[in-house]
Amino acid sequence: MTLEVDVEATFSADGADAFHVAADFAVREGETLVILGPSGSGKTLLLETVAGFHDHGGTVENGGRVLSDRPPEGRDFAFVFQDYALFPHMTASENVGFGQRYREADADPDALLADLGVADLADRYPPTLSGGEAQRVALARALAVDPSILLLDEPLSSLDVPTRQSLRDDLQDVLADVTSIYVTHDRTTARALADRIVVMNDGQVVQTGTPEDVFERPASPLVARFTGSNVVPLAAFGDRTSQLLDGDRDATHLTVRPEDVELGAHDPDLTGTVERVTREDATSRVTVAVGDVPEPITVFSADPPAPGTTVSLRFPRERVATCRA
Amino acid sequence: MTRETGALPLNALGRGSVALTVVAVQLVAFAAAYSLGRPTLYAGFVLLSAAALGFASRRGLFGVAMATLGSVLLVALGLPLLLFVARQSPSLIAEKATDPGVHRVLYLGVYAPLLTAVVCLAFGVPLAYHLSRGFPGQQLIESLVDLPLVVPHSVAGIVVLYGFGEGGMFPSLSVFGTLPGMILALTFVSAPYAVNAAREAFESVDDRLEYAARVHGASPWQAFRRVTGPLAVRGMVTGGVLAWARAVSEFGAVAVVAYSVEFFYPPAGEQVIAQHAPVFVYNTYLQGGLDESGAIAALLLAVSAAIFLLVRWLTTDATTTQGVA
Repeated sequence: MTLEVDVEATFSADGADAFHVAADFAVREGETLVILGPSGSGKTLLLETVAGFHDHGGTVENGGRVLSDRPPEGRDFAFVFQDYALFPHMTASENVGFGQRYREADADPDALLADLGVADLADRYPPTLSGGEAQRVALARALAVDPSILLLDEPLSSLDVPTRQSLRDDLQDVLADVTSIYVTHDRTTARALADRIVVMNDGQVVQTGTPEDVFERPASPLVARFTGSNVVPLAAFGDRTSQLLDGDRDATHLTVRPEDVELGAHDPDLTGTVERVTREDATSRVTVAVGDVPEPITVFSADPPAPGTTVSLRFPRERVATCRA
Repeated sequence: MTRETGALPLNALGRGSVALTVVAVQLVAFAAAYSLGRPTLYAGFVLLSAAALGFASRRGLFGVAMATLGSVLLVALGLPLLLFVARQSPSLIAEKATDPGVHRVLYLGVYAPLLTAVVCLAFGVPLAYHLSRGFPGQQLIESLVDLPLVVPHSVAGIVVLYGFGEGGMFPSLSVFGTLPGMILALTFVSAPYAVNAAREAFESVDDRLEYAARVHGASPWQAFRRVTGPLAVRGMVTGGVLAWARAVSEFGAVAVVAYSVEFFYPPAGEQVIAQHAPVFVYNTYLQGGLDESGAIAALLLAVSAAIFLLVRWLTTDATTTQGVA
C-alpha cells in the first residue's frame, strides 16, 4: 500500500501575501518519509493538508483509495503535533483512548503508555506533564488508533536537548513498525529517522531522495547549505576544476560534507585562513575563509589549528559532488 | 512567600486582612458620619484615607495624587449606595417584601431574564462558535451583534415593535404587552453579552485540539461535544449569566414593548399581570414617591447584588487556563 500525494493549496492570512504550497511525493509501505525544510517553507501546512485540515486541490490516494474529498476523520491517519495538542480536560489515559471510540483499534491504551515508559502517568492531566512526557502521551494517542499512516509535525522541537535525544531513540523504534511522514527542520533528526527525504523550500519540493542522496549529493546549493554541506563555486578551483567534475559539464558548484574535507593535506585544492574554532562534543568545528570563495568552508578536526593559521584543504575525489545553481 | 507591593511586603492572606480592615474602618467612619447627620464628613474621610494609603505605598507625591483623585470617583459611586441602604425604612422594606404584588414582580424579574438567557445561549453559542473560527464577512456580523450595545434601549424597543409587532415578521405573534414580546426585547439587548462571552471562550480553545480530535476519528459534532464544548463551557455559562443580569436590569426596551405583561404565575396557579422590576420601580416612583420606590429598589438591588456576586465568582473561576498544555 502506497500513499500518493499530489496536492496544492493556497493559504492567506490577514495582511500577508498568499502562500502557495504544492507537492508531489509518495510514501511506501513501512517507510519513514521525512519532509525537511527551513521554517516557513510550508512543510507543516503540507502535512496538515495531507491530514485534511485544509481545503486543497489535487489528490491524496492511499492504496488506490482517493482520500482528497474526505474529512480528517475519514482518512485513517493519526497526527503528532509539535505542541502535543493533548486534551487538557482528559487524563493521559483518556487522551490515548480518545480515538478508539470512533475508530476500530484494539490496542490497550495503558499498554501503549507502558511501551513508551509513561505508564505511571495514566491518571495525570496534561497541564501537569513535562514536555517529554506530554509528547510520549501524544504519540501513544496517535498509535492507539492503529493508523495506516502516522503524521508527525516537528514532535521534538519543543523539547530540551536531553529529552529530545531520548525521545528520538524511542521514535526510531516506533517508526520502524509503521508507515509515517515526519516533518522537521532539523537535519540531524532527518538523517537519523528517514528512509527517504523530501526537501522543501518556499512551498515547493526541491529534492526527493534517500538520506544519502540528499546529504551527499544535494541537488542545488540551497539543499546543500540546508543539509550542512560546504558549497564552493567550481570557478574557485581554477585549472583543477576538470579533476573535480563528476560528469556534469554544466555544474556550477561543488559540494562536500564537512567531515570529508581533509585539513593540512599535501597537494591542496584550496588554501585559506582559520576564521573560527568551535568546540563540539567529540571534535571541533573549524571555519576556514578562502580567498574569493563567498562562503567559508567548514571542516571537523580533533586537533584544530588556531584561528588566523593558514591551512590547506583537500577534497577527496570520491566524496565530492557537483550541482547546478 | 511574601511579594513586594510598593513598600508593603504582604502575602495573599495579609492583603486579604488589610482589605477587610480597610472596609471595616470605612464602615465605622460612615456610621459615625451618618449618625452625626454629616455624610460630607465621610466623603472627606475617604479622600484622606486614600491619600494616606497612597502615601503608605511609597510611590511619593505621585501615588498620593493618583489615589486621592481616584477616590473622588469611588465616593461618587459608593456614597449614594451607602446612603441609599442606610436611609431605607426596614419596616417599609418588610412590608414590600411580603406584598404579593411585589412577589409577582420579582418572580417575573428573574423568570423572564432566565428565559432570555436560554434563548440567547441556544442561538448565541452556535453563532459564537462560527465567529471564533472566522468566515468571510465576519466583521459585518460582529458589528450587527454589538449594535444593541450602542443603541439607546428605548430605540431598541421601538425597533423590536417594528420588527415583530403588528405588520412585522410574525403576523400571528402578539408582542405588545406580552411575555414573548418582553423576551424578544430582552434578547435584543442581552444577546451581545452571551455571544461575546461564548466567542471569547471558543477563541481560547486552540484550533489544533479540534484538529487532534478530528484526525483521530471524531466527527465535527463529536469534536465539539467532547473537546471544544467542555473546554468553553465556563465561557458559555458566564455568557448566560451576563445575559441574564443584563435582562434583569433592562428598562428602556421593555417599557416600550411590554410595559405590563400577562404571564402564568405558579404560586397563584393562574395568569397574572405584572411589570418588569425596573419598570415597576419607575412606576412606583412616579406614583408613590421616593420612599415607596426606594423600598422596592432595595429589594431589587439585593437580587442584583446576588447576581453580580455570582457573575464575579464565575468569571474569576474561568480565568484558569484551559488552553493547550
